[in-house]
Amino acid sequence: MAAQDDQAQSLEAHRKYLQRYALFHLHDASLAEDAVQDTLIAALAQLDRFQGRSQLRTWLTGILKHKIIDLTRSRGRGLPVDAISLGEEGASSADPFNAKGKWIDPPADWGMPDAALESNQFWQVYQDCCQRMSKRDALVFSMREVMGLSSEEICKNIGITTTNLHVILFRARLSLRACMNKNWFGAGHQ
Amino acid sequence: SCEQAARLSSMAMEQPLGCGNFNRQIEFLRRAARKVPEVLEQERD
Repeated sequence: MAAQDDQAQSLEAHRKYLQRYALFHLHDASLAEDAVQDTLIAALAQLDRFQGRSQLRTWLTGILKHKIIDLTRSRGRGLPVDAISLGEEGASSADPFNAKGKWIDPPADWGMPDAALESNQFWQVYQDCCQRMSKRDALVFSMREVMGLSSEEICKNIGITTTNLHVILFRARLSLRACMNKNWFGAGHQ
Repeated sequence: SCEQAARLSSMAMEQPLGCGNFNRQIEFLRRAARKVPEVLEQERD
């Protein structure tokens, strides 16, 4: 009994990190809470399978990724095929091109942006910009770019076609670029 | 069309097939995305 309490406590120590991870992907505190709770319950049940080849946190994150995907599927976040054209998701994705397909405001040089990756303030702006995308765009973007799922895995898990995926990722990249341009690179942070 | 160029550049990130700045910027934002788990880990519990 005491051993089980110790195990539960060692898992509990990772709860806050797991909540931040889930919230980044789901943009919904209550859903994130559910995903983390499911993860910790599953981890406790499977703890004898954890063989210490990776860090406990890495193993828990792997379980959480699956829980996020499961939740996404079960809560009907699958993407309707007709919701995929540019500019249908509100102000976060204002069309940056004019009727002739030219940039309204051509992207300016960001110089050497990698130095910003060391700044806590940069990450605050980055997370804010991700939250400004529609939940669906943000989820697809983070599955692809943060979780590193393949295009095939994403299409299979959320029930969209490859063409849909390309449109969503393009829209997400345009939105994130415009937001970072306005709130970081165009705001004198460099 | 810059829009077509940007769209194709984005698609090329998924499968084998101002715009120069755009491509460098979305590559940078991809590198940033890959660092997110590390950043979340470093935030204080």
